[in-house]
Amino acid sequence: MNIREATLDDMIPMQNCNLHNLPENYQMKYYFYHSLTWPQLSYVAEDEKGRIIGYVLAKLEEDPAAEPHGHITSLSVMRTYRRLGVAEKLMTQSQNAMRDVFNCKFVSLHVRKSNRAALQLYRDTLKFTVQDIEKKYYADGEDAYACRKTLQ
Amino acid sequence: MRDLPSKEANLFREILKCYELKQYKRGFKGADQILKKFPEHGETLAMKGLFYNHLDKKELAYEFVKKGIRHDMKSHICWHVFGLLYRSDKNYEEAAKCYAHALKYDKENIQILRDLSLLQMQMRNLEGYVDTRHILLELRPQNRQYWVAVAIGYQLLGKPELGVKVLTTYEETLKDLPSTPDYEHSELLLYHNTLLEEVGDFQVALDHLDTIEKQVCDRKAIKEKRAKYFLALGRLTEAEAAYRDLLALNPDNMAYFEGLGKSLGLGGDRQTDEDEAKILEMFKQLQKEYPRSNAAKRLPLRYATGEAFVKVSDEYIRSMLRKGVPSLFVNIKTLYTDSAKQAAVEKLALGYLVALDKSKGFDHSGAVVEPPTALLWTLYFLAQHFDFKRETEQALGYINRAIEHTPTLVELYMAKGRILKHAGDHVAAMGALNEARELDLQDRFINTKCTKYMLRADNMAEAEKTAVLFTRADIPNPLNDLVDMQTQWFSLEAGESNLRQGQIGRALKRFHQIDKHFNDYTEDQFDFHTYCLRKMTLRAYVSMVRLEDQLRSHPYYVRAAQDAVQCYVRLFDKPDGSESEEMEGMTEAEKKKFRSKQRKAELKAQQEAEEKKKKAAATAAETAKKAGGNAAAAAAAAVKGDEDPEGTKYTKCEDPLGEALKFLQPLQQLADTRIETHLMAFEIYIRKNKLLLALKALLKSIKIDANHATLHEQLVRFALAIQKSSSAKTLKPSVKAVIDKHWSELYGIHGQDLSAFNAGFIEKTKDQGSVAHVISAAMSVYLIDPSKNLTKAEELLFSIEDEKKFGQKRTLENVILVQKTLKGFKSARQQEWKAKAGVWFPNAVALK
Repeated sequence: MNIREATLDDMIPMQNCNLHNLPENYQMKYYFYHSLTWPQLSYVAEDEKGRIIGYVLAKLEEDPAAEPHGHITSLSVMRTYRRLGVAEKLMTQSQNAMRDVFNCKFVSLHVRKSNRAALQLYRDTLKFTVQDIEKKYYADGEDAYACRKTLQ
Repeated sequence: MRDLPSKEANLFREILKCYELKQYKRGFKGADQILKKFPEHGETLAMKGLFYNHLDKKELAYEFVKKGIRHDMKSHICWHVFGLLYRSDKNYEEAAKCYAHALKYDKENIQILRDLSLLQMQMRNLEGYVDTRHILLELRPQNRQYWVAVAIGYQLLGKPELGVKVLTTYEETLKDLPSTPDYEHSELLLYHNTLLEEVGDFQVALDHLDTIEKQVCDRKAIKEKRAKYFLALGRLTEAEAAYRDLLALNPDNMAYFEGLGKSLGLGGDRQTDEDEAKILEMFKQLQKEYPRSNAAKRLPLRYATGEAFVKVSDEYIRSMLRKGVPSLFVNIKTLYTDSAKQAAVEKLALGYLVALDKSKGFDHSGAVVEPPTALLWTLYFLAQHFDFKRETEQALGYINRAIEHTPTLVELYMAKGRILKHAGDHVAAMGALNEARELDLQDRFINTKCTKYMLRADNMAEAEKTAVLFTRADIPNPLNDLVDMQTQWFSLEAGESNLRQGQIGRALKRFHQIDKHFNDYTEDQFDFHTYCLRKMTLRAYVSMVRLEDQLRSHPYYVRAAQDAVQCYVRLFDKPDGSESEEMEGMTEAEKKKFRSKQRKAELKAQQEAEEKKKKAAATAAETAKKAGGNAAAAAAAAVKGDEDPEGTKYTKCEDPLGEALKFLQPLQQLADTRIETHLMAFEIYIRKNKLLLALKALLKSIKIDANHATLHEQLVRFALAIQKSSSAKTLKPSVKAVIDKHWSELYGIHGQDLSAFNAGFIEKTKDQGSVAHVISAAMSVYLIDPSKNLTKAEELLFSIEDEKKFGQKRTLENVILVQKTLKGFKSARQQEWKAKAGVWFPNAVALK
């Protein structure tokens, strides 16, 4: 298992990983946009053969009204690579970069209300707190938990 | 706004503003207003055309822009507009010409120069880019972007030292540096350092780091660079400290471990016993320091040998089995390139099983009682291990026992499916995956895997039904969501399934879809040519440009291109394309029956699709109504759907080999070192009767792997083709002269005696025990004289029966290939082969 900063070469396998695992998908340009705007914030996990088996795609929320903070656009790990703490390791690296490179005070993310496994990961393992429920956040009308974590 | 009175001139200025603000309708009205009074005003006509373009009236757009130019040939605006029009249609070459023309009439127009430079970058006219960017820099030396762009141009041209000069000059002009690190400036400095690194003087690069450090936000980048430079300069003690420092930030980064190893002089290609002991000791320390690092635990397995390997792998595997880590086997099997390690792991795992059964521990010491799941994960591990060795019965035995132990674990059914797939029973494999899927309907991953297995079993209907369970539900045809989201794996697997079933048109549609995804990826870079200069994320930008240059060497494209070439070659060989593989060798009556069965299935699918469409139309209409839109239009759009589901556009193409070449060309450029590229090229050129290009392909293949099985067969076919056109007197003397010159490179001492050439090949490869080489030899014997050599070819193929020589080398794939080869010969011994192969691979459906 190798955890490292994502490069542009990782964007195609990241998209592939996302399409295997999650219902929220993005076109390539959106991955490019992340990596070309905040190259330090996204991370990938590779297996022994160098295949991408997990990633965190992250950005900076630059709303001039609020303090600058990080945002997790997407996080996923292939099912067959669970129980190695990969998601947590990816998140730790991304959050450190948010704090060190961009002076972020906190990081935010959204979770589908029905996705109990993900909520458990964010709340119990990664110590996020639920701030709010955003009604009909997802394209299919489902609500989202808006979560947040202070960065130290 | 040439030749307009002031009122209209003002209006014209306004419509230019409208264009910038994307207020196309307003701009359009303004243009009309001017044209009422001055119907022949060229620049206004051109602008009207540009507005048409944005209002989706392509033909009118071109008509008006051209009309504008006719009325005002010397207006830079007209030519610029023409260029913008071409650019929006992605015709970059024509657009660049227009911009160049526009610049004739306004040499220092910043906007046009910038637009031109973007096209030059997109088309990788790097020299042009540097020239244009130089002009811009001279015009606007106070602008940071213009300095940086010139440096980038030089770097991409392979002249980083000139880039360094440009940046140094720029930095000298800066007076007030930000007191706290500023992200954009920081990225610029790091980019500067990367240029120094590319120049290759690491001491200079290292010293530069010291000067910029205080102004850099990305501290990790500084640390990584410093460690790398220390190592490159041989300052090993400092390198060691630097890598240890990095490991503290991320103890799961392999590159850091590697750097640390190198700075300690360890981990090279040749490892002494002493080195091994040292490296294992190093990891022992690191494990203590970073108890949560998986890499620190796993890496020793790579370096340890013999007894030490048994010890470290024993510890590692036990802890993973205890935890129940599903990826353990995939992780361990990369060690199996070393057969001693494979044997050691097998012995350990079998030992665990015996011990767990007897005394509930991984050994008989009784010291630790393991959780009941330890047995489960051990069985799972063993099943995968024996599947790796293709010992199907053993593997199935273990996995079935595991399923009995815990019938609700998704991973077990996935492993079972994999075993069955390897054994050649795709339908049973799909069944196992579907069981897995049904155990966890919320998980897209298992849904994806299941879909893949359905496609491998050529069950398109089920696959499509399953795939759309996780796509957007609010669009008329949910399968289109997979295409919109650039789901490459699906297009590939579905296309290959179509190809297996002889549905060439459908297959080609999918492979062209993949080609289009890659086109889109190339297109995607366009906006970033300006964006990144603004954001200063230059290191990332340059890696994007370099990625784009290599894009089509990506395995997805390579595979799709190979498949597409295969399709087009088949279309050329059998233009009606109606015969699938399964139909080969059927009698006419059987074919008729088979076709009618296929038609019925298609009809049913069509009806189902119609039903779906109607439903989708109704939903779309409803949604539109709710949103206050046009219900009828939405419904019509939904029904319209796919006008050519069969892909007849591709099967009816005029020049299949020409189309095949289009797929091949990027590979000739980017995958020149892969022999497959040249083997494919040969297949195309020999059919086009382009003998010199076929020769070139053969020579390239020889350089890569003179001993390649398929290459041999191609050499024989080439010689036969030359013989044929020689005797038909169609071989041009000039062509013949070139071929003669290279003849001995191809056929060595054998000259024109093909039988001797083939006999030499058989002799040379006889101890390799390679099935592929035997097939190639048999094929060649047959082709040299089909009427006389059939028996000999058959005998060669049946030599693969030899247990001692081929027992370990036979795979399901290659025995099926033998089967197909016999079928190609119309051999009477096909059944005999099938029966034999069926004994070796009892689960394989294709051999029943």
